[in-house]
Amino acid sequence: MRRGLLVAALAVVAVPGALKSQDSTAAAPGGVRVGITYTPGTRPSVTVLPIATAAAIPDSVRSILQRDLDYSDRFDIVIPPSIVAVQGAAPNYAALTALGTDLAVAVVPAAGAAPGGQIEIQLHDVRSGSIKNRMTLRLPGGGEALRLAVHRASDEVVRWVTGSAGIAATTILYVADGRLWRVDPDDAGRAGVPAAGRPALSPAWSPDGRSIAYTAFVPSGRPLVLEDLASGSRGVVPGTEYGVNITPEFSPDGRTLAFAHGDENGTDIYLYDVARRCCVTRLTLGRYYDNLSPTWSPDGRRIAFISTRAGSPQLYVMSADGSGQEALARFDYGFTGQTNGPEWSPDGQSIAFHREVGGVPQIFVLDLATRAVRQITGEGRNEDPTWAPDGRHLAFVSSRSGTRQLWIVDLETGRMRPIVTTGGARLPAWSPRRTFSSEAG
Amino acid sequence: MMAKLWRAAGPVLVLLAAACSKPPAPAPTTPAPTAAQTEAARVAADSAAARAASARRDSVAAQARADSLARADSLVRANRERTRADSVRLQVQSPSADTAPQMAASGLPVADSTALADPIHFDYDKSEVGTADQPRLDRKLAILAAHPRLEIRIAGNCDERGSDEYNLALGERRAAAAKRYLVAHGLAAARVEIVSYGKERPLDPGHTEDAWARNRRDDFVVTKGAN
Repeated sequence: MRRGLLVAALAVVAVPGALKSQDSTAAAPGGVRVGITYTPGTRPSVTVLPIATAAAIPDSVRSILQRDLDYSDRFDIVIPPSIVAVQGAAPNYAALTALGTDLAVAVVPAAGAAPGGQIEIQLHDVRSGSIKNRMTLRLPGGGEALRLAVHRASDEVVRWVTGSAGIAATTILYVADGRLWRVDPDDAGRAGVPAAGRPALSPAWSPDGRSIAYTAFVPSGRPLVLEDLASGSRGVVPGTEYGVNITPEFSPDGRTLAFAHGDENGTDIYLYDVARRCCVTRLTLGRYYDNLSPTWSPDGRRIAFISTRAGSPQLYVMSADGSGQEALARFDYGFTGQTNGPEWSPDGQSIAFHREVGGVPQIFVLDLATRAVRQITGEGRNEDPTWAPDGRHLAFVSSRSGTRQLWIVDLETGRMRPIVTTGGARLPAWSPRRTFSSEAG
Repeated sequence: MMAKLWRAAGPVLVLLAAACSKPPAPAPTTPAPTAAQTEAARVAADSAAARAASARRDSVAAQARADSLARADSLVRANRERTRADSVRLQVQSPSADTAPQMAASGLPVADSTALADPIHFDYDKSEVGTADQPRLDRKLAILAAHPRLEIRIAGNCDERGSDEYNLALGERRAAAAKRYLVAHGLAAARVEIVSYGKERPLDPGHTEDAWARNRRDDFVVTKGAN
């Protein structure tokens, strides 16, 4: 019964202008809508209520909220047909119940607020007919700042319901046409990020989201550049002025940068003490073979990496001091292809990477407890996975649409959707949650 | 046992404190070819030198190893003398400048310049110099021996398969393999620098086996001493 209602509600989405910001995604390949691929009954259904015209709150707030909740992949989104009056002075709980809605989100002016003043976001439990949670915020005038404020509110709504925050207030760095770009996971806010060198490759976020590291192609070499996003100031990591210096990755406490430095003797993993701005330590000892792509466990005690010590590149792990190096996912029956691009999950329980199957890279996730490897993709070339802070979404590069672009997959539901629909995007790096505002502009 | 090895490796990279506060060095510009007026003379001199050098490659290679300034000076003097002699002969034998040996932009004879730039190729995901490419490197050794001021850069490249990042390491390994060969055969290590382009600079944009084979290569570029 509920399923039927959901599908009926979907028809509303198709009405031009009903949800303008979602049109492109709804029409995109793989942009599967709620109620079709999901198992009903496993997730709460939610309606984001229309904003009363008299409230003088931009309707974009509602559409951004609804899209964020949808993209969290933790809800079934129920969109009320316009003929159903779901909100008068208060939400029409009876009408919402008839729609099969468990939860309703309302955006109203905060009590006593002047027009254009603070707003309140309420989470209603439709069955009990009561407000479960509420928060007030002041909306910035518009643009990027408005979107970020609403994204943060969305993430808080997700936390109210599920216990862990959403990922709307994040951004993804990537490389296209040799330059660095950023885009939010809702495919908005796409902008260039000034960077030294061209191409600039392998961007990595500091855990506080304030700075990035990347490989810069300059005539004199392939140095690693540390860049402060707010000020734009840059520095070269000591010891990376010569040779090839790739795959930087900050430690979870942000104090250390792991990276690979290659020269005539092979490519090895080193640590640079960012906090003290000194001291480069070598962790691996290659002789004409490569060790690269370090990725930290969330507790900072271990580093997984790629090594060619046994031939083709495969996944290894070691302690953060370089001791105890061992193969992690090397012996895998049926899969002997190259393994690359590992990234340790935020919950520490798995490592995502890409591995060639029949010469074509596909995304895999290794469960560290069982050492079981799960293949996530199978269509087109799929490379360079990067975890969202919620540990259940991955962004990656895929050629499935015929051009190389970024996609996001929810590992719980298997839902995939494209972002950055222009071709050539690669090497994505998902940011931590944006809890600061210095780079909001 | 292994753990001990890693620890023994210790801190290796040179510590350059406070480099963080400095912006990366601006891109140096490539010096344009100069001294066009001496080109004809130099062509004659260079080809003569190359002929002589390939005849006595072994001894020249040994001298290059020694890399002695005095030796370089005397070679330059010898070149100048040959230049004079050859230019006189050139005027006598070929009144038209069109018949003079063709010059490359590098100031080397085209044949030498081409041989020096001749790329070598690699098997998929491999960085070993193949036996078929060794004569190409030997030819470069002869030219480099004959022109002791020449310095080169070897740029390692990969095909489009494999990850962007791994290919940077692989390209570095390919460039390093060619350098190791040249140095093992007498070239001073200081005259060769290496760089990796990974798969960022394909020669052939195709997606065929042929294109991939062409793109798995080392490029050789003269960085110093030409002209």
